[in-house]
Amino acid sequence: MNIPIGWKYLAIFIPSVLGLIGLLVLIRFAWKKGTEYVTPRPTLSRPLSIGGAALGIVAALMPWATFVLNEGAYPDKSTLQFFDSPWAVSGFRLHTLLLSLVALAVVFAPIRKHRIHKALGWSLIGIALINAAFIAGNGGGFGAITSDGSSFAFGAVIGLVAGIALVFSGKAGPVEPIPHLSTDVSRVVAYAVLVVSFTALLLGVAMMLNAGGQGGVGNPYAGPIFLSLLAFFAGVLGALHAVGVTGWISRLSDKHKWFSIVVLLAVALGLPFTEAGTDYWMTTATNIGVYAATAIGLNIVVGLAGLLDLGYVAFLGIGAFVAANFSGAAAAKMGFELPFLVAVIIAAIVAGVFGAVVGSPTLRVRGDYLAIVTLAFGEIFKKSAQNDIGGLTGGANAIPGVPPINWFGLSFDKPLEIAGVKLPSGVMYYVLIIVLVALVMVVFANLKNSRIGRSWIAIREDEDAARAMGIKTGKAKILAFLIGATLAGVAGAVFAHKTSTVAYDSFQFIESVTLLAAVILGGMGSIPGAVLGAALLLVLPEKLREFADYRLILFGFALILIMRFRPQGLVPDKHRRAELANEGAEGVPIEELNLPDDTPGGAKAQVAR
Amino acid sequence: MATLLQQLINGLVLGGLIALIALGYTMVYGIIQLINFAHGEVFMVGGFASLATYSYFIPESWRSDWWVALPLMALGGALVAVILAVIMERFAYRPLRNAPRLAPLITALGVSVVLKEAVRLFYPGATAPVPFPRVFVDEQYTFEIFDGTITIGSTAILMIAVSVIGAVVLQTYITKSRMGRAMRATAQDPDTARLMGVNPNRTIVLTFVIGAALAGIAGVLYGIQITNVDTEVGFLYGIFAFTAAVLGGVGSIKGAVIGGFAIGLIKSLAGQYFPGGTQYDLVWIFVLLIVVLVFRPQGLFGEPERVRA
Amino acid sequence: MRNQTVKAAVLVAGALLLAACGTNKEETGAGGGNQACDQSKGTLVIGVIAPQSGGLSALGLGIKNSAQLAADQANEKCAVKGYKLQVQTEDDQATAQVGAQAATRLSSNANVVGVIGTLNSSVAQSVQPILKGKNILMVSPANTAPSLTRGGEYATAPKRDFENYFRVCATDDLQGPFAAKYLVGKAGKKNIAIITDGKTYGEGLAAEFKKQAEKDGAKIAATAKVGERDTDFSTVITSIKGANPDAVYYGGEYPQAGPLSKQMKDAGLNVPVMGGDGIFDQKFIDLGGKEGDLATSVGAPTETLPSAKAFIDAYKAKGFKDDYSAYGAFSYDAANVIIASLGKTLGDAGTWGEDKRADLIKNTQDYSAQGATGEVKFDKYGDSTNKLLTVYKVTAGKWAADETGTFGG
Repeated sequence: MNIPIGWKYLAIFIPSVLGLIGLLVLIRFAWKKGTEYVTPRPTLSRPLSIGGAALGIVAALMPWATFVLNEGAYPDKSTLQFFDSPWAVSGFRLHTLLLSLVALAVVFAPIRKHRIHKALGWSLIGIALINAAFIAGNGGGFGAITSDGSSFAFGAVIGLVAGIALVFSGKAGPVEPIPHLSTDVSRVVAYAVLVVSFTALLLGVAMMLNAGGQGGVGNPYAGPIFLSLLAFFAGVLGALHAVGVTGWISRLSDKHKWFSIVVLLAVALGLPFTEAGTDYWMTTATNIGVYAATAIGLNIVVGLAGLLDLGYVAFLGIGAFVAANFSGAAAAKMGFELPFLVAVIIAAIVAGVFGAVVGSPTLRVRGDYLAIVTLAFGEIFKKSAQNDIGGLTGGANAIPGVPPINWFGLSFDKPLEIAGVKLPSGVMYYVLIIVLVALVMVVFANLKNSRIGRSWIAIREDEDAARAMGIKTGKAKILAFLIGATLAGVAGAVFAHKTSTVAYDSFQFIESVTLLAAVILGGMGSIPGAVLGAALLLVLPEKLREFADYRLILFGFALILIMRFRPQGLVPDKHRRAELANEGAEGVPIEELNLPDDTPGGAKAQVAR
Repeated sequence: MATLLQQLINGLVLGGLIALIALGYTMVYGIIQLINFAHGEVFMVGGFASLATYSYFIPESWRSDWWVALPLMALGGALVAVILAVIMERFAYRPLRNAPRLAPLITALGVSVVLKEAVRLFYPGATAPVPFPRVFVDEQYTFEIFDGTITIGSTAILMIAVSVIGAVVLQTYITKSRMGRAMRATAQDPDTARLMGVNPNRTIVLTFVIGAALAGIAGVLYGIQITNVDTEVGFLYGIFAFTAAVLGGVGSIKGAVIGGFAIGLIKSLAGQYFPGGTQYDLVWIFVLLIVVLVFRPQGLFGEPERVRA
Repeated sequence: MRNQTVKAAVLVAGALLLAACGTNKEETGAGGGNQACDQSKGTLVIGVIAPQSGGLSALGLGIKNSAQLAADQANEKCAVKGYKLQVQTEDDQATAQVGAQAATRLSSNANVVGVIGTLNSSVAQSVQPILKGKNILMVSPANTAPSLTRGGEYATAPKRDFENYFRVCATDDLQGPFAAKYLVGKAGKKNIAIITDGKTYGEGLAAEFKKQAEKDGAKIAATAKVGERDTDFSTVITSIKGANPDAVYYGGEYPQAGPLSKQMKDAGLNVPVMGGDGIFDQKFIDLGGKEGDLATSVGAPTETLPSAKAFIDAYKAKGFKDDYSAYGAFSYDAANVIIASLGKTLGDAGTWGEDKRADLIKNTQDYSAQGATGEVKFDKYGDSTNKLLTVYKVTAGKWAADETGTFGG
């Protein structure tokens, strides 16, 4: 009898899964044993770090691939032979070299080095793994990164070992606290530091956006180049954090709040002048802005008031359809054109009214049930839009041909020239959306610290207690929906003009999940978090086009893992992280609060406050 | 008249399917107050797993005899669904049992996206609907009545029968057996249940297992009735089933079954008689859901919501 | 000591796992291609915008592969002097917004000479203005909405809004009436039910079908809509069954049409289902399309055209994983339109630049050749002059050509 083919696959599949699990368990076991071994032996730190750094330098100068990959030379001459031209290394090998040199320099510097080495080590591990996986996966198997006939390329392997050695050198001996730099510096110095650091941030972002080009056939390796650069920046940031610089800058910007906001705004507006100033990134950035503004609105509902909304994209859609109908497009219901600003206000009002309607069941429905009710509203919106309800949505034909915004004869979709600098088309949309996001952020920040914001947080924590304290919970909850929806409506109006076609299928359930993921990834209740989350969720798929098919599955895993391991998100809200991650209010993990603290009035004292 | 009768039959068939899925929702919610968003996807995976059993795991000579092939397919579908549910419970939900309530809900959303995408990416041809063999007796019974004919297929009868029998067996198990008592005890108060010698973790896993097995069987029945499976069905039927569970009162077996049949009937009758026809049938279901939640949040057969200590 | 043992075990396990994957070294230099051609001036890119994931991906993948085939052949034949051609595919996920983003991505690359796409007319609406802004040539293999070329008032006051837009397929206002003529005239069905999926393609097609069918004396017994994600059509079928239709016209695509046909039969409504090129795919039959179901598709049947045979043979020789599907031949033709016009524009020594875009569009307008779908030529609106259509019928589990003709008004 013929054995059906499935059993054969199963016979391969089950052992490989078991093998993989076994491998992971082994790695974890080895890691734990290694940590246990080095931790009580501080004397190991120095040799390990010197060895690791030296290996890192060797790795940078070694070839990483044994042969040229199918789609052309792997970036930056990864087949370059051993010490052929030590000064010609570039790209990820240059980064490896830099990280290793810094690690070596730090060994001899009179500062606390454990955390620095850990950060640099992790960065090296990251670069090594990313490039090894890509070369092996794309170029063909293990031979591509080790030896193959006459040629050999152990760069990735050595880099990995170097990284591990550095990480373990950081583990040898007791944990060191992060230095606490004083913010008592003169205003001039503080301002200069802020300007420099934000400008560096801008240049870093521009560099990342442009890493490896736009992908596609012209730049087949954009994905790994981008990821390597990301790992490098993460290492640099980690090292800066370890010496206390990032904490210092963040405290400085807290101290000079308004100045930082102005600088940040100026820096954001400076993006079109950098290498990322292309049509493509302007469009993507505008989309990010639309999502960020909407995500901030959602953050009011989910992050502050604790009401899970799974149909939120409907408000973006309502805003977009309203604006489209008043835009003078041929398919619009209204045969006349309103000025953009008026249309925005109408869109906001209409979306807000719908927000209040959707929010009204919150008076009776709580928690998980509410999530389903909002999901139901989202689906009702989609169905209605698809069926061209009242002739307002164009149904299956959508509303095409929404004209670009036009202010004072300046059409927003045309390229621009300011003082001889040619700016890409779409730059005006970018400026508009930056200003809009900034405004939304200000609104959110003020709301959060207002009376109503505090009552939202109280409702989130314990609705019954909040009511007992005299908060009108019903009113507050509906207000949360109303304000959140208003912000989404404004974003939707910009969206309509930018995309030029408003179709129901842009507002499906998965978009609501994306928005929610942006909020959760960034950190519930956190303003910069929502923006960062939206940016990540839109930039990563653009950069990692090779994995486009895996976008959603990674996205699902991200949701699960974040909830499991970092429920407070990437940029946690100060109050929120205290509850979600057992951390002190300043973001220091509880266990570290027990460490001897060398700075009076430092983290520990602030927690006690 | 014939049209009405036919629509009633359509509704009952759909209702049977929804009821089977709704049982899983209602049991899990009853015991740990979690909306297991991924349950609809478990149903979808069950459908694909049973199809895989048919096309890749049973010898060709067995395929023509439905009494051999169908139970094996049901077994395959249920087995994979159960394994998934156990993994899901152990690694995604259990660590979050004491987290804020939003956390497991969002995790469930993530799990559902992962399951759907995993099938789409790794099942051969699943980027589009995949044909499903009608393994069961392929008969259509047609009756002449007053002004036309009505038709009911053998698979449709099987669907209704399985869902009703399944619900009765489940109800008996939960009220009569020792494990069923443990479930009810854990649902009421996990801590006291533990003191009484009930292992809550084991009980919760068992709940997931029963729900998943039913969803897996629902997957097979769906396949032979509709004759194709698609990665999109998990979300759609998940929503229907959840609505049914809420309508009937979450935590109540009887409620889930009656809710399931009610949703099925509403969908087919709304498609025929309500303004907007089939384009708005989903809308009517949701309107009903919202109305029920606002005016009778505990559903038709549920107990009023307790605030958990 | 123990640590080292564990580490060694880890390394060995890792080596085993990775070695299991094997080495498939295959070095073809910098991206392959025939070095006999002069490709010194660099690479020019033909963009493809079509769904690569989701329910319509079978159609989208066929479009992508066929364009790739045309580009490969052009590279071998040195069709564009001095340049190498590459195809860059962007997934539009069949949604307008994603399509717009894909168009922006392509349009910001100065080396993109033309774009093949899109599959869905609704996506084309949002892609057109973006490409027009950069004066980039766009040739669609599959858009059937008449308004894309002739404006919103296409029936009464046609007006071309997008000079850069061409299509090699026939429009709904040809295909729908052609199907009506066949179904009412030849097949003699006088009591027809119409089911649509609520999307641009299906609605447009069904509307044009309905106009002609009524003109020809048939009665539209019932109309109904199915949801684009529905799988259980029993309600819809029951609702039209009361009207006793003798045929059903379905405006939509195969993922729904196949199961619909099967469920109709189960429900005792054993009448033929007819649709447009959106259901003309083997998948329709796999999913339950029954004997006697009908579909219209543009052009003569591929078996009868030598040029089409050549395309199919070349496609098979390439060993693509996916079938060329309903629009493969059109996509191949569209790619060849772009390539030939580009070759003509650049001549023997021309250099690509922004200033060449207008010439390229002009040359495309004047293009005329025999393609895989028949004669490829454009009228003053950018529509294909090839008005040939074929009705296919499911016979013995395959689509078989039944009648070929043109729609004459």
